[in-house]
Amino acid sequence: MKRKMPVAKDTMIEVIDVNKEYRRAGAIIRALVDINLTIKSGDFVIIQGPTGCGKSTLLNVMSGLDLPDSGKIIFDGENIARATEDRLSKLRRQKVGFVFQDFNLIKTLTAIENIEALLWPTVLSSKEIENRAIAALRDVEMLERKDHFPVEMSGGEKQRVALARAIVSKPRVVFGDEVSGNLDPDSENVIMSLLKKINEEYETTMIVVTHRDSVAKFGNKIVKMDKGAIVSIK
Amino acid sequence: MLMRLWKKAVKMSTRERKMFIVFTLMYTVLIFWTSYSLELALKADAGAQGFGSTSFLIALGASIFLTLLYAWIIVARNRRTWATLKCIGYTNGNINSIILGHVFFTTLVGFIITIETLFHYMAIVGYLQAADPNVGYRVANLPIISLLPVIITVGVFTVVQFFGYFLASSKITKVRPMLALKRVGE
Repeated sequence: MKRKMPVAKDTMIEVIDVNKEYRRAGAIIRALVDINLTIKSGDFVIIQGPTGCGKSTLLNVMSGLDLPDSGKIIFDGENIARATEDRLSKLRRQKVGFVFQDFNLIKTLTAIENIEALLWPTVLSSKEIENRAIAALRDVEMLERKDHFPVEMSGGEKQRVALARAIVSKPRVVFGDEVSGNLDPDSENVIMSLLKKINEEYETTMIVVTHRDSVAKFGNKIVKMDKGAIVSIK
Repeated sequence: MLMRLWKKAVKMSTRERKMFIVFTLMYTVLIFWTSYSLELALKADAGAQGFGSTSFLIALGASIFLTLLYAWIIVARNRRTWATLKCIGYTNGNINSIILGHVFFTTLVGFIITIETLFHYMAIVGYLQAADPNVGYRVANLPIISLLPVIITVGVFTVVQFFGYFLASSKITKVRPMLALKRVGE
């Protein structure tokens, strides 16, 4: 059951008083400390900070991959902080796209099949799924490589396919976890420019976690974190 | 939707060529062995029955072990893939459907190869026994495998596959989607 919360019309994600702790080797690590953050629809948010500052944990809880210990995550009007696993799966399929540092393409599937895979468990017809995958590949300028397997592609090309997979379901938000972490500067520029293009053309909200300063110029909101807390928002 | 997931599971399993060939061949040997043992166990001859029953139990144990091993390998080898699929919105049920497709398709191909092998086996044994009445003792006593043991074997292997499926299902629920975000080697 959807729990609609009263939020401003153009607010995509609202993080309210969120805390998260981990236990490792008997020690308690405070990964998120009283986080409050509002992300508007169409924002391009860059979350920066040193390793272990909590930026990936923040991405996890905002995207419904993990649940906070306390606080609320209002995602498109719905509090997902206590949602069930099935509800979160449905939310991720319908409203969220992911781009990973290691691309995470399935090695036994071709580029187009990797993109189509996201839509296999839906009621869409096979033809519609193929058409959407082709459109997504065209958006990332990889249509000519549609029948290639991941092993036949460079890192930059794999990331473009991963980006096509992230946008094929026309999500409201795309989360990127160190998307350029395994790429050279040229490929990083290509991927970030594509993310920017998709952000502007489709008004898709982008949230990218990175430790690289070179990525920051693409965002319109820079969130800096340290020791589990937000230290600045520009 | 379910059919689509199964079709894709078949495609994915055949593309993992090495593992697919190895397990299909192992299933073929086990299915043949089980049918052969059952044929002996169902014989009137008491000596053959005893040997056949023991052999059948060993084959059954081996098939359960192989099925569990296959299911475990499918989950363990592809943990990151399952985590990624969970990340992009697959439910445990969706992933289980893919694994079910993997496991049953491999067994099905094993059956098809076994049926083909049985035809050749029966033709060779029938020919040797008919061509030379003084054929050696071992060849003369090789059983012609009838349809009943093969049908029972199909039933037994279908049931055994569910052990593997349940093992895989329980392991899949423990795969956390966050695993997809971890760096390789982390």
